[in-house]
Amino acid sequence: MSTENDMTAIFHALAHETRRRIMDVLKVRPGIGVGELAQEFDVTRIAVMNHLAVLEAAGLVISQKDGRTRRLHLNTAPIQMINDRWLDDFSSHWARKLTGIKYAAEAAHAKSNQAKSKKREGK
Amino acid sequence: MTKETKSQFDGKPKTFVWKVTINAPIETVWNTLVKTDEVLPFFFGAVCQAQDGLKPGKNMRMASADGKFAIVFGEVKEFKPPYRYSHTMSFTQNEGEDPAFTTYDLKEVRGGTEFTLTTECIPGTKTGKMVASGSFIVDNLKLLVETGKPNFAAKMIMAMGPLMGFMTPKISHIENWPLS
Repeated sequence: MSTENDMTAIFHALAHETRRRIMDVLKVRPGIGVGELAQEFDVTRIAVMNHLAVLEAAGLVISQKDGRTRRLHLNTAPIQMINDRWLDDFSSHWARKLTGIKYAAEAAHAKSNQAKSKKREGK
Repeated sequence: MTKETKSQFDGKPKTFVWKVTINAPIETVWNTLVKTDEVLPFFFGAVCQAQDGLKPGKNMRMASADGKFAIVFGEVKEFKPPYRYSHTMSFTQNEGEDPAFTTYDLKEVRGGTEFTLTTECIPGTKTGKMVASGSFIVDNLKLLVETGKPNFAAKMIMAMGPLMGFMTPKISHIENWPLS
């Protein structure tokens, strides 16, 4: 089980848009170097490194030395523990159904909006 | 998502890492991890089998609880109790694909044992998609060592064991995957 202090660190780390976006990048590009990651953001490299320090302290990011580069990985285990704390099998089944409907409806809505604006452009 | 969603690692191995701190001594974590011939709730209810124990250069396989199917087949690469265990890993149903490579690292830290699972696999392969189950293993090993009980999902999978036999392809039959 994770302690309340661990949880506080995890939620503190998650409570910043740039840090969440860093996690988005690491999800699709595991093993990316710090320099490459910094290029994805408009903030300074130092700012990105500070965010990385917060994410690492919370256990959400793991960095490994590879020669002169520091390779970064997203660690999803703490997020799984958030999940385990509040979701059980029953609630996760229904919550997933609900979010599934949400994503499907939103995708359909976006698609019909796109079609409408194309039609308008065509006129 | 970012503009670079397309992977730059296409064709090259991709590394995934999961890490937890387990509130238990390193020996306990190690012994739980490397148990052979016993149902492992953190590994989808499979049983780890090896001839004369897990040793570098020797084969290992994860068999279904009833012993009829080999789910995973691999070669032990490193076995350094209680710090490191690594092996190649192929899902038998993806026969012919390049194997993935799995490493378990254990480290004594304040508050217990730091447990890290690293998997390298070729993106785009079926095996590459299947190794996403790493968090299941890390999470459940932690729960099992700390509380003695697997989580609900693990219990469900174990309960489903006999049923999954119907869905398992012929190639996965245990006699197709001898240890030596």
